[in-house]
Amino acid sequence: MNLPERVKEVQNWLKADLAKVNNTFNSVEEFRLKYVGKKGLIPALFRDFGSLDADLKREVGRNLNILKKEAEEAVGQLRERLMANSSQDEEFDYTLPGMPFNRGNLHPVTKTMNRICDIFREMGFGIEFGPEIETDFNNFQALNFPDNHPARDMQDTFFIEDDILLRTHTSPIQIRTMLKKKPPIRILAPGRVFRNEAINSRSYCVFHQVEGLYVDENVSFAELKMTIEVFTKKFFGKDVQIRFRPSYFPFTEPSAEVDVSCFICGGKGCRLCKHAGWLEIMGCGMVDPNVLEACGIDSERYTGYAFGMGPDRITLLKYGINDIRLLFEGDVRFLKQF
Amino acid sequence: MIVNTKWLKQYTEIPFSPEELEEKLTFLGLEATIIKNPADKIGDVIISEIKEITPHPNADRLRICRVSTGTDEMDVVCGAPNVKVGQKVPLAKVGTTLPGGITLKPIKIRGVESRGMLCAEDELGLSDNHEGIMVLDENAPVGTELRDYLSANGVSFDIDLTSNRPDCASHIGVARDITLLTGKDLRIPEIEFTESDEPVRNYVDVEIVNTTGCPRYAARVICGVKVGPSPEWLVKFLTSVGLRSINNVVDAANFVLLETGHPLHTFDYRMIDGKKIVVRSAFDGEEVETLDGVRRELTKDVLLICDAKKPVAIAGIMGLANSEIKDDTTDILIESAYFDPATIRKGSKYLGLQTDASYRFERGADPEAVIYAINRLSDLVVRLAGGSVCQGVIDRYPRKIVQPEITVRFKRVNSILGIAFEPNWVAEKFIRLGCVITNRDDESITIIAPSWRPDLEREIDMIEEIVRIYGMHIVPNAKSMGIHPDFGAAGDYELIEKLRTRIANYGLYEVYNNSLVNKEFTEFGIQNFVPVKVKNPLSQDMAYLRTTLIPGLLQTAKRNLNRQNTDLPLFEFGFVQHYNPESETHAQEFQKFAILLSGYIEDKYWGYERRKADLFILKGIIQDIATQFGVREVSYKSEQHPHFDRLIMADINETQLAYFGQVSQNYLLKKWSIENPVFVLEGDISNLLQNTKTDKQYKELPVFPGIQRDISILVDLKVKVADVEKLVCNKGGVYLREVKFYDLYQRKNIDKRKKSLTFNLVFQAADRTLQDAEVDDIMVTIHKILEDELGARLR
Ligand SMILES: [Zn+2]
Repeated sequence: MNLPERVKEVQNWLKADLAKVNNTFNSVEEFRLKYVGKKGLIPALFRDFGSLDADLKREVGRNLNILKKEAEEAVGQLRERLMANSSQDEEFDYTLPGMPFNRGNLHPVTKTMNRICDIFREMGFGIEFGPEIETDFNNFQALNFPDNHPARDMQDTFFIEDDILLRTHTSPIQIRTMLKKKPPIRILAPGRVFRNEAINSRSYCVFHQVEGLYVDENVSFAELKMTIEVFTKKFFGKDVQIRFRPSYFPFTEPSAEVDVSCFICGGKGCRLCKHAGWLEIMGCGMVDPNVLEACGIDSERYTGYAFGMGPDRITLLKYGINDIRLLFEGDVRFLKQF
Repeated sequence: MIVNTKWLKQYTEIPFSPEELEEKLTFLGLEATIIKNPADKIGDVIISEIKEITPHPNADRLRICRVSTGTDEMDVVCGAPNVKVGQKVPLAKVGTTLPGGITLKPIKIRGVESRGMLCAEDELGLSDNHEGIMVLDENAPVGTELRDYLSANGVSFDIDLTSNRPDCASHIGVARDITLLTGKDLRIPEIEFTESDEPVRNYVDVEIVNTTGCPRYAARVICGVKVGPSPEWLVKFLTSVGLRSINNVVDAANFVLLETGHPLHTFDYRMIDGKKIVVRSAFDGEEVETLDGVRRELTKDVLLICDAKKPVAIAGIMGLANSEIKDDTTDILIESAYFDPATIRKGSKYLGLQTDASYRFERGADPEAVIYAINRLSDLVVRLAGGSVCQGVIDRYPRKIVQPEITVRFKRVNSILGIAFEPNWVAEKFIRLGCVITNRDDESITIIAPSWRPDLEREIDMIEEIVRIYGMHIVPNAKSMGIHPDFGAAGDYELIEKLRTRIANYGLYEVYNNSLVNKEFTEFGIQNFVPVKVKNPLSQDMAYLRTTLIPGLLQTAKRNLNRQNTDLPLFEFGFVQHYNPESETHAQEFQKFAILLSGYIEDKYWGYERRKADLFILKGIIQDIATQFGVREVSYKSEQHPHFDRLIMADINETQLAYFGQVSQNYLLKKWSIENPVFVLEGDISNLLQNTKTDKQYKELPVFPGIQRDISILVDLKVKVADVEKLVCNKGGVYLREVKFYDLYQRKNIDKRKKSLTFNLVFQAADRTLQDAEVDDIMVTIHKILEDELGARLR
């Protein structure tokens, strides 16, 4: 078929196809590509036009340009129609679900620990790690737990050997840090700890702790209170109330427990806070001089504070999880909720 | 420790409501919780008296009781066997709602109308007792509400004592702490008994062999006591603090224990041989029967109280059956001693036996309370059980317990607490604590600590007392917090958390598995390490520390599969331990990350076909991690291991970064009954961090366009993609910028021993636009080398 005939044929197809175009993007796009797209019929005609005899060029060229114009105008009109009507397209199902980005998730306790670490890092605390298997010296003796002292009953211990054990708290990281650095020391010690306790809905043999330590000249209890208050307000919200009450830990003196007003009932009393209105969230105190001395730090010149909290427990409270074992079961239906 | 307000009030005034007292004790460091009295829930149940009992005309087991409330009389049908005329009993009238939620309605029982109900303890929510109706004391006032009558016994508090405060394991101790707040006096009960003329030394002598274990031992003898039931006030006291009444002598000893905090022991004097008490260590293997009826084998760590022939008590822990007070006991020997805390603790630990006595001795009893306590008990016994107290006390005190002298510097108080205290205020509180002030000047105060406070030894202990009494909750916050330029180093924290977040973002869920595993878990995997064993595990299933994270993940996968969770993209971060005698802790620890994939790794979606877990997803993860952490030289090699069907090692300079593979289907079925394919990866975090480079440099973007060429070749199955890439790169010349493998084709319509590989090549020059002809020439050499070296056929 020669070129003038092909131009006519394309013109006929164009008319026929134009009648069949739906008012949908795909249909209009299909039409456009077929005729005016780079690999479409009309650009193909133009390519062949170059090799045409000069005498024919004039007339065919005119028809070809008309065809091109017709096609472009048709596409333009179809697109306008499409735009005008697109919102009324009844077949367009905007309720189709969007692509799922199942992007995985950090464990809820990781999230709690990271949040705690991030807040204290803003306050200038560095982060230190330590081994899970520890010496009795680092875990107990240096922390002012004498042999045969009832305070050791506070922490049921897994032993590896007589004086090697699974750390019962992350406090040995404090000891390791004080043994290798001189004050000022301002660190956070997160990690996994172990207690030889029967597993049930409220206790698990493995859990986590984040402890903090600050040792310098002139560190006072008033400064500890300030630090803890800044943390609790950042972590639990600025409306939360806190209270310090005396307690006992061998490694700090004075020692305190910190309660926050229950964030479920706001202190009125509910099941979560056992109707007390308060939730116990951490222990803290001034580093006992014996601990500083055990680490070779002059306790007359330096003072310090330490605090510690359990991110597992805080996670349970925060999300209303009633069984700690869920944290260690790895059920994906559970993990996807956070 | 349970204390009761009615009894606390005997020792000091308490101008607080129970709720106020609860809070004030808590702020003093005595964490107190009001024990809710079940009587508070009783509705309007009234104390009534049974006037007359007549048989029920239509039922043998029922009776009709005529009861009086003082103002009113009515008939009540009752089935309880224990009703008697004259009893004071709880009456719930028609209309009353009982704690169980039942509201009484007028009712006819077998034709006789009952206008109320006589209640058993369980029906009132007071106990589980349903053995007949509750019979009240004969003095119970008829017509008053039972609730008021029962709560007249004071409010009880449960105090969660910290182990440094044995002094508060007593009513007097708690009352003393209350005086710190009220400024009122502490009233210690006076001793009133008179001694007989019979000298106690005619009855007993005391010899302390082990003076370390027993620094002080005192004894008295009371003759002619009559063992019998305790009076009502004593029974009520014991009930209010959770104890059962036994007999007047034992109850009196318990009373003194709870009043003064000092544990005492009473022996049946006729069972003491040779008029002698000897305090000595047990022999290894010595056997005794304690009064709970258990035979126990002792070691030399256990301290014994013996007579001339035999042991009669385990010191500070429990008496022996052979000398306990019996109903027909008439002469008693009372022991009041001070035992060494560490000795009692060792014995108690060894025997696995903690008692009210051992609890107090191991935390530190009051060595100076020995005589007061024995006199207080003698006084009570004489009043409750009669008898006469022999003249004198045997008091052996070979090792005097000296109270420390402590100097408290006001400046130090200020610097530790961050606020200044008035020296007079401090002195006044120290006196109330029971301290004796020995010196005082402008800078400091020196005191001798009271004998009942073994926790007060150092200046810092007294500083704690100051802030405890002042109120920690009202110490003002500091104005600022110390910050120092050296602070804030995060060590590896940031990189580890970056890795953790990156892995989660591959679409994986982080799990926490137990670090304690069974032996079999430690035998999994490609390396053979000696695991670390726990000496005292919870069970054999948790007797070892894990040497790899993979079995824990397999167990979690199995648990999920059992719950129909089949799509498992999981990961974990954790430490693993290997035995290593060279190390201080005899163990070496490695921080690992591990991944497990099974099932689909994407959710179902209408817009794509979702991908199943496979080995090369894991390889992609390792590649991405290496890129993210700037690790440039990761090499891979395939290995064989019985636990894996396919196994690939990823190394950095010959050290292992990670291994990953498809777990052997055979192993999965046999060990875990898992049928689905499972893919796992375990990587070493410290090796990754050691090789991390953060020195990324920007490369200029190309200015001139590149030329792309695809190349498809047919090669033998054993030819590796990396081999082809290497050859292509060799011959690609300086303009070859990128070689990307992107299609693998291996089907029936090509030779069965061949596969088709397709690569995309990009050529680009930095300084000009490349010409097609130049690239064509390079492609010819590439084709040729592939044909020559690999026998590749162009497709
Ligand atoms: Zn609440």
